[in-house]
Amino acid sequence: MISERKAGLKGRRGYSLKLECKPIPRPGHPIEARQQFRGGWRNHAATAWLSGEQHRDGIRYACGITLLAPPGYSMRGYFACLLFSLSLSVPCRASEPATDDFAFFEKKIRPLLTQQCLKCHSRQAQTSGKLRGGLLLDSAAGWQRGGDTGPAIVPGKPGDSLLIRSLSHGADLKMPPSGKLPAAMIAELTEWVRRGAPDPRVDTPATNHRQTGLTVAEGRAFWSYRPVASPPVPPVKNPTWPAGTIDHFVLASLEGKGLVPAAEADRLTLFRRLSLDLTGLPPNPVDALAFANSTDARFLEQAVDRLLASPAFAERWARHWLDVARYGESVTLRGFIFPNAWRYRDFVIDAFAADMPYDQFLRLQIAGDLIPGANPSEAARNRVATTFLVLGDNNFEEQVKKQLDMDVVDDMLEAIGSGMLGQTITCARCHDHKFDPIPTRDYYALAGILANVQAMEHANVSKWIDLPLPLDAATEATLAAHEKHLAELEKQVKALQGDRATQGVLPLKDAPGIVIDDTQARKVGDWQHSTHSGTYLGTGYLHDKNAGKGSKSLTFQPVELPAGRYAVWLAYSPGDSRSTAVPVTIFCSQGEVEKSISLRAQPTVEGRYASLGEYRFEKNVGYVTLSNQGTTGHVTADAVLFVPLDRATATPAGEQLESLRKKLKAAQANGPDRPRAMGVRERSTITDARIHIRGQVATLGAPVPRGFLQVASSPKAPTLPAGQSGRLQLADWIASVDNPLTPRVYVNRVWHWLLGAGLVRTVDNFGTTGEKPSHPELLDHLAQSFIQEGWSVKKLVRQIVLSKTYRQASGVANPLDPENRLLCHANRRRLDAECIRDALLVAGGNLAPGGHGSAGFAKAESDYGFSTHALTRSLYLPVFRNVADPCLEVFDRANPSRVVGTRDTSTVAPQALFLLNNPLVASQASLVARRVLQDTSLQDDRARFERLWLLLLGRHPTEGELAQARQHTAHAASAQESWTTLAHALFATPDFRYVD
Amino acid sequence: MSQPPQISRRAAWRAAACGFGSLAFAGLAAPARPGTLPPHHPARARRIIFVFMQGGISQVDSFDHKPRLDTDDGAMLSFDDARVLANTGMRGGNHRVMKSLWRFARHGQCGHWGSELFPHINQQMDDLCFIHSLHTEGVAHGPATLFLHTGTTTQIRPGMGAWVHYGLGTENNNLPGFVTIAPSPGNGGARNYGSAFLPASTQGTALGKAGSTLPKDPVRDLKPGADGEKIMRLLPGLMAEQKALHPADQAIEAVGESYELAARMQLAAPGILDLRGETPETLRLYGIDHKPTDSFGRQCLLARRLVESGVRFVQVTYGDGSANPAWDQHSDMPQHARHAHAVDQPVAALLIDLKRRGLLDDTIVWFGSEFGRTPYAQQNGTGRDHNPGGFTVFLAGGGFRRGFSFGATDEFGSLAVENRVHMHDLHATLLHQLGLNHERLTFRHAGRDFRLTDVQGRVVREVLG
Repeated sequence: MISERKAGLKGRRGYSLKLECKPIPRPGHPIEARQQFRGGWRNHAATAWLSGEQHRDGIRYACGITLLAPPGYSMRGYFACLLFSLSLSVPCRASEPATDDFAFFEKKIRPLLTQQCLKCHSRQAQTSGKLRGGLLLDSAAGWQRGGDTGPAIVPGKPGDSLLIRSLSHGADLKMPPSGKLPAAMIAELTEWVRRGAPDPRVDTPATNHRQTGLTVAEGRAFWSYRPVASPPVPPVKNPTWPAGTIDHFVLASLEGKGLVPAAEADRLTLFRRLSLDLTGLPPNPVDALAFANSTDARFLEQAVDRLLASPAFAERWARHWLDVARYGESVTLRGFIFPNAWRYRDFVIDAFAADMPYDQFLRLQIAGDLIPGANPSEAARNRVATTFLVLGDNNFEEQVKKQLDMDVVDDMLEAIGSGMLGQTITCARCHDHKFDPIPTRDYYALAGILANVQAMEHANVSKWIDLPLPLDAATEATLAAHEKHLAELEKQVKALQGDRATQGVLPLKDAPGIVIDDTQARKVGDWQHSTHSGTYLGTGYLHDKNAGKGSKSLTFQPVELPAGRYAVWLAYSPGDSRSTAVPVTIFCSQGEVEKSISLRAQPTVEGRYASLGEYRFEKNVGYVTLSNQGTTGHVTADAVLFVPLDRATATPAGEQLESLRKKLKAAQANGPDRPRAMGVRERSTITDARIHIRGQVATLGAPVPRGFLQVASSPKAPTLPAGQSGRLQLADWIASVDNPLTPRVYVNRVWHWLLGAGLVRTVDNFGTTGEKPSHPELLDHLAQSFIQEGWSVKKLVRQIVLSKTYRQASGVANPLDPENRLLCHANRRRLDAECIRDALLVAGGNLAPGGHGSAGFAKAESDYGFSTHALTRSLYLPVFRNVADPCLEVFDRANPSRVVGTRDTSTVAPQALFLLNNPLVASQASLVARRVLQDTSLQDDRARFERLWLLLLGRHPTEGELAQARQHTAHAASAQESWTTLAHALFATPDFRYVD
Repeated sequence: MSQPPQISRRAAWRAAACGFGSLAFAGLAAPARPGTLPPHHPARARRIIFVFMQGGISQVDSFDHKPRLDTDDGAMLSFDDARVLANTGMRGGNHRVMKSLWRFARHGQCGHWGSELFPHINQQMDDLCFIHSLHTEGVAHGPATLFLHTGTTTQIRPGMGAWVHYGLGTENNNLPGFVTIAPSPGNGGARNYGSAFLPASTQGTALGKAGSTLPKDPVRDLKPGADGEKIMRLLPGLMAEQKALHPADQAIEAVGESYELAARMQLAAPGILDLRGETPETLRLYGIDHKPTDSFGRQCLLARRLVESGVRFVQVTYGDGSANPAWDQHSDMPQHARHAHAVDQPVAALLIDLKRRGLLDDTIVWFGSEFGRTPYAQQNGTGRDHNPGGFTVFLAGGGFRRGFSFGATDEFGSLAVENRVHMHDLHATLLHQLGLNHERLTFRHAGRDFRLTDVQGRVVREVLG
């Protein structure tokens, strides 16, 4: 507003001001700011009108001011003052900079911003999609609001203003990116900010738009971030139906819609469903019939408890978690194999077998290496669990290693965020989450924790880390003894070699044999002395400058050379730019021997030399000549060594060295390996991460204290101690009873795996773009009881499968609830890829037991060319990221590079081709036919058909099916053949791959 | 010359004698499966063949003629090297300018420069549209190859072929909509043609793999087993019973359709994959049965047969399975000649063959690498390092301007400086020609809409005819 002071009226009584301001509609295009003044005065009143067009915003405005003086006072003399104040005051600003500040802005800063900055930081740039960093500099509000990293300018504090800092082209953000501004311009901008950044440019609604998600405060009211409640069990109209609290919740919502639950599934169907859901394996016919015919009142509980206790339960439920954990045993980049990833798989299986509390299960995966174990095997288990962090399909070849570090952190946050918390946290890597209450600073608060672990050793192609595992005393002793033995052998070899370093500068006196350095060589042509590589003998080496081909040579001739046999070695400086065919002549007792040597390869002898062969020399007669004749690429030479070989000349080493080397090699190959697991190391210096503007490592913003998602943090959230990464506290925060997300997300996953759809169907996304729960109270009820039962997965599964809700028959969609959200029947579901392959093996009776441990693949070709004849459960096949087992591939295995909460269930032709033509299916069909035909307990074909149907489909055949089967087998020449065809056809039917 | 088999479905069933002909499955007409989205605008092209030169073809030795390299050959000059920049953040640094080993000349009526590495392609110059100012992300093969295919160097995203398949569907129900011939297992491997979060059916079907000749049966399980026919006779009856048990289950129809399609694929695919029906003249044109060009010639001819049969997106890869793929001449530029010899004639043949069959008008041929190479010697040696900052691709057919070139690198061919085209822009432009708006070709996943071009991309209208 225009203040009295600026109008020059402060302290004068009786004056009054009237202000009008109105936009004027105008055609035409935006122009630079232009202002017009008009007005006049009459006796005691002065009026001034100002109209103008604001720079580029297209808004035309007019402001009028009328000043009324008390009677008896003239307004003469005030008009100019009025005009001037008006010019300062429109657009109105909260602060009131001095006149010369605005003048300074207009004269120096506005043109500078226009020329240097607005191309990428204006609404016009925004319109044409060229806005960078989300930052607008064409209005004061633009820089006040700032871009992706917050305000660009702190008025009065150039040192704290990102905009000013970016001008210096220091380590962080560099602006303008095309090059540093002249010092004078930087000084002007700095001065402007120092003055408080006076900026008359008005903001308009159009410059004010920026899509943001919920604020953290708003987010706390959103269903998934609210604390888990303990809703009362609702009353139902039909109290006879519910078998437990779950059923009360489900029935209440069904009754609310006027729906009734389906009847219970028949016992064979229910048993097949239970077997597949709990163990991933189809039931065997004996158990199925026993279940169907049981008269025991507790037959269901007993069967469920038996299934829960079976090792197959752990295998099935481990596989579910491996989907979530993006478990893979190779990376798509060049098919590198993770040789120790299987230990994580086995850890997960063991955890489900032991019903490890889910909170502890998560805690170990995030910070197991920081959690001591009661004994070495527990400590090893804890360490293996953290393999979770580094399982990502990372691009180890990324050349910007800081970027790679942050990509790996991002992958961890994706796995933790989607997998454990149901949050799309990684959206906030580049900007505040557009929908959810996750600001960028929360991302970097979490990233800061994980950036304090080292996940790779960096190189051109970086490598994950395989860390040694803690061992029990006996194993440790055995391994230590072996390693000591190896060290001893290595020491002996080195001693015989003279323990010479293979890198760096080697003094001539330390090199073996008779050494002729390049400084002693006879030179023909122009050779360049160099020490560039850092590895050489004496004072450096020579190179031919890759020029003057055919005109240069070097001759190395010893002055004193006792007669005898020598190995002749050439020291050179290797590299990709070197010649691959350097002509070398050795003059020995046989005369001149010509050789061609590649200088590109790393030297094979002691890391420094190429062997030129072994020769006999007469006394003082012998030399080596090297030339650049006919070479492409650089020719280098450092020294030639004549190393004595026979008794007359030998050093004590000789053959002894050779035999020692062989011994060492054998010991390395045959000895026990120290067990290792993929994992991470805490960094020695703990730091906070800085915001990465637009996710770019080259443009850093403000540092963010490490922490957790604010929206899901209660006051009880752990605090981060100084000097630690905070990973342990992150684990505690995630696995806390106060975390609203963790228990909800997991019970919902379990519901999804058992009923085919989650209460929240977007199982990996509990944010605002996810789906709302169909039964929010039931979800909280399950989460509460999960926590109260000590995070026991088995108890949770048991509770759900014993419900009437789970036991319903599958059925026809009700028009009132076409998607069956309210659960008035069971969902017919396609089996997972692993279940289909396992069921093929179970049917054939040749499923191999076990599978723990390494599958023994090590080379990249194992990934590219993966194929296996293993008959173990599918979960034990190595999970390579480029090539999968054909059955798992066609039936939509979980993409091992992504967190997969919901499997795809495609129906495509390759599945048909697999089931019709793949040799595995044909041989399994043959096996199952033989099994049935050779079973003497089966009296007739009817019994055999019954058995076949039970084995493959878990149910009795229908009359129609029996008729077809009879017709097919009745007149066949070969029973085995016709039954094989029948079994094969049944494998191909939908009922084999669907569960009711 | 062979035409693709024009067999009606009914005839196909009879011929197969193992189909579901007797079954009352959904109607017999098998129209091309439409895409998930209606086309955003009229398409200029219906199909695309991406000829991928894996490893990084050198622009200054192929089609980006830079006389400065001759005049300044051997001079140590300052260049911003992308790898140095990535590793150390340092700009500048002395590098030895290295001239091309091959002579350049003008070709065709357009007079575009081409080096003697590609004598056959040079003859097609008037049909080509060059972009000399391409630039991309990723200095190493792994990141850059992923970027080329998926528009990101790190994240798990669908390949471009999967996006196109998702958007446009297939024109031939007997074949997959996206086929990648001899893909490289390295440098991103299956991720380059994967579907990521798109429906699994959109992923590329791989035929063979880089570095080995095309196998006889490149499609797994396509060959009918001994019992196939008998099983197919039993199956319809058994499935009808199951349908009666689960009358509401839609999935059973889908399963039935999958068997129908499988049967049609068994019928159609072997014929398309078999090159023996081609005339000797065509085989000669592609350089088939001539050792250096045989392998890639077969791939290019197969690509033509696939697009002719209605496959939407075909990628042909000239590469190998190694970490330093074919065109990756870090230390031995003369090797470029060997690779050029292997691809030049087949690629030119593909252009000629498509043109004479009237297919070039609505088929895009895209020829390019994941990045280019430096105009200076790598570490002062005899090779060139990777250069994502400026390189050349060419496009032919599909409504691109003919005999035209767009954009330019600096006078050394190091960085794109004039009319710069980012890889995102190229993606956007290719999608545009196929009738897809890159900003509207989206898929909702994890709560947001994803695009091939992320939040970038500009349709380069200047190169459109």
